[in-house]
Amino acid sequence: MSRHFDAIVVGAGPAGSTAAYTLAKKGFKVLLLERGRVVGSKNIFGGRVYSRPLEEIYPNLKEAPIQRWVVKERLSLIHVESNISLDYECRDGRSFICYLSELASWMAKQAEDAGSTVVTEITVDSLVQKNGFVKGVKVGDEVVEADAVIDCEGVNRLLLEKAGLAEELRTDQVALGVKETLKLGSAEIESRFGLGEKEGLSWIMLGDVTEGLPGGAFLYTNSAAISLGLVLMLNTAKALNEHVSRLLERLRLSPFLSRYLKDSSIVEYSAHLIPEASSVMLSRPYSDGLLVAGDAAGYLLNLGYTYRGVDFAAYSGYLAAQAFEKAHAQGDFSKKGLECYGKMLKESFVLKQMLKFKGIHNLLNDRTLFSEYPRMLSNLARELFSFDYETPTLIEALKRSKKNISWLKLLLDGFKVIRSI
Amino acid sequence: MDIVVCIKWVPNTTSVNIDQKTGTLIRSGVPSVINPHDLHALEIALTLKDRFGGSVTAITMAPPSAKLGLEHAIGMGCDRAILLTDMVYAGADTLATSYTLAKTISKLKFDLILVGQETVDSSTAHIGAQVASWLHIPYLYYVVDVNYLGDGKIWAKRLLEDAYEEYELTLPALLAAAMHSTHPRRVKLSYKLRCKSEQIIEVWSNKTLGLEANCVGLKGSPTIVRKTSFVPEVPRKKIVCKPKDVEQAAEWLIKRLIEERLLKI
Amino acid sequence: MNKPIRLEDILLNNVWDVDYEPHIKVDSEKCVNCDVKSCINLCPAGCFTLLGAKIVFSYEGCLECGTCRIICPRNAVQWDYPVSGKGIHYRFG
Repeated sequence: MSRHFDAIVVGAGPAGSTAAYTLAKKGFKVLLLERGRVVGSKNIFGGRVYSRPLEEIYPNLKEAPIQRWVVKERLSLIHVESNISLDYECRDGRSFICYLSELASWMAKQAEDAGSTVVTEITVDSLVQKNGFVKGVKVGDEVVEADAVIDCEGVNRLLLEKAGLAEELRTDQVALGVKETLKLGSAEIESRFGLGEKEGLSWIMLGDVTEGLPGGAFLYTNSAAISLGLVLMLNTAKALNEHVSRLLERLRLSPFLSRYLKDSSIVEYSAHLIPEASSVMLSRPYSDGLLVAGDAAGYLLNLGYTYRGVDFAAYSGYLAAQAFEKAHAQGDFSKKGLECYGKMLKESFVLKQMLKFKGIHNLLNDRTLFSEYPRMLSNLARELFSFDYETPTLIEALKRSKKNISWLKLLLDGFKVIRSI
Repeated sequence: MDIVVCIKWVPNTTSVNIDQKTGTLIRSGVPSVINPHDLHALEIALTLKDRFGGSVTAITMAPPSAKLGLEHAIGMGCDRAILLTDMVYAGADTLATSYTLAKTISKLKFDLILVGQETVDSSTAHIGAQVASWLHIPYLYYVVDVNYLGDGKIWAKRLLEDAYEEYELTLPALLAAAMHSTHPRRVKLSYKLRCKSEQIIEVWSNKTLGLEANCVGLKGSPTIVRKTSFVPEVPRKKIVCKPKDVEQAAEWLIKRLIEERLLKI
Repeated sequence: MNKPIRLEDILLNNVWDVDYEPHIKVDSEKCVNCDVKSCINLCPAGCFTLLGAKIVFSYEGCLECGTCRIICPRNAVQWDYPVSGKGIHYRFG
């Protein structure tokens, strides 16, 4: 193929489309390749996006296909038949709920309108390297070249693995997310969850939802549908002795959720891997002629009570585009010329946040946290609130509910949690 | 050889979500695809072009969203794509559709027309026969293989239930490709890039064709669906076999079928 | 939505454009001596089933998550993305 592009972006997810959009706005000739039939058809996530970093990139973000703005946060510890919830309400929404399929499609449209060439139905087979320098991509028997490739292929970084630029993912580095999208009228959603028009709820559940395995569940309210899903750390999920979909089904049918979901119907069932460990992060997300952004570079943060991925992905794509511009100005697309990408990431909230919460992964893999503590806290609440004659003191209640967890372990774990988050 | 391939833009029927109340297919929100059987027509046409030269033009009568399907056809290697789209064409039955298609094709240079055997959303299998009738050309269906013999003649092989038939036809002719007859080729990046750099997909409205409004769309459609009834649900026994291996599964199944008098040995 | 739904029925809501060639190939010979077989419970689409002692794999309902690629301890899974726009088509992802 005779055509030469300034940059080729692989994958039209939030990272790729943002990189292409940013580059095209700067006047570069960009080719954005997407394997889905249409942009968005391969994109799935839980449901929430933090908006501020995106507003910096997309001044017209208000026009994006936003389902609802999060005004309610709920964190619940689920234990058999009782649960403890923490509710937080704030009318000044800083995050929104959407379908990533729709948001990715919108972002790619921005990239296209800015001048990028967006081609769908194209699965890139490999990166083309000459003496270790990435020169382009191979699709079937065709090669297309560019000054640099921005790899935003997602969590399954097949291209990077094939090129020897990333190690194979291990089970202790990723989590499996499964999600059901349940159709439900907006009036029902608003009355059942106590929401106004365009107002949304983000609900994270820990504890028995995952049979005590490390992970959690989420529920997000869309305009006229609910996104309900589970996240399981893969290395411990191996202990599961039933199919993962049954776990999600039990959650959907559980007494504390079923009243919210009454008369809803499934419209889609989806699954995705989530990079979890900080070890998924590429120590150097660039190479000769190559920049890596988004999930492929491992930029996603799970804090247990909230997930952040889309804003990290988009922002890293944004920075990759800026690094490309700098390298272009110096005519140097080698490792050295692209080094500035690493620097920009370190100075941005993306890497600062990722490094700040480096220890969280070990904590989220701790099984006591997901089985013992929800049980303990739920017992504690029962001791405190459901009594017949004698009202217990807090210390009595705590003593009775902690059962076999020692005071020392309690203290140490408490310290661990506070230190990690 | 210049070939025209008619394709239809249909809802993807892998998502057979049925409305429990009305018993009808829920089509809203279901993305459309090129009718899978038409992909075989495209493949046969493109193979002929690879071997004997010429051109392949894909045409479809559909709403503007069908551009996506035509981009796929271009991506596979078609030279030209025409989208027939106009409000007056909406609601057409097979007669009005075949008329519009035939009128379009007669404006093009063609030796051969290829269509899919039938569509997955209506399965009438009318279009091939009707287009051939409008154009007064020979028609052959269930075609699995085609060869050009020179001198304006082709050889075609058609699949019957338990036999193959071989034909020689004089061009121009119309062939309907049998389902599963080929492995439709993958799109190529360079071909898909053509869609981006050139205005490769031509959009024709009734201004281009100038057809009488009474002959197209709903007005030109004599078909009336009087009643749709559903096949009553057959009660199933729902017995699940949990065999150790394939042999055991087969043995169990045969035994059951004999017991149910569905099989005689 | 207050009664159990079989996984097969849940999957019917999804849209696929299934390719005629599988994008994932499983060497089930390698599975014979595998004592974990976590693919059975962890493939969210239930693409891996046990028939006797044998793993049977079908690619048609694949959700393209990559779980099998990572959890397989025997390297029995040769994993790729579908080509030419085939595979799952998410609408509410």
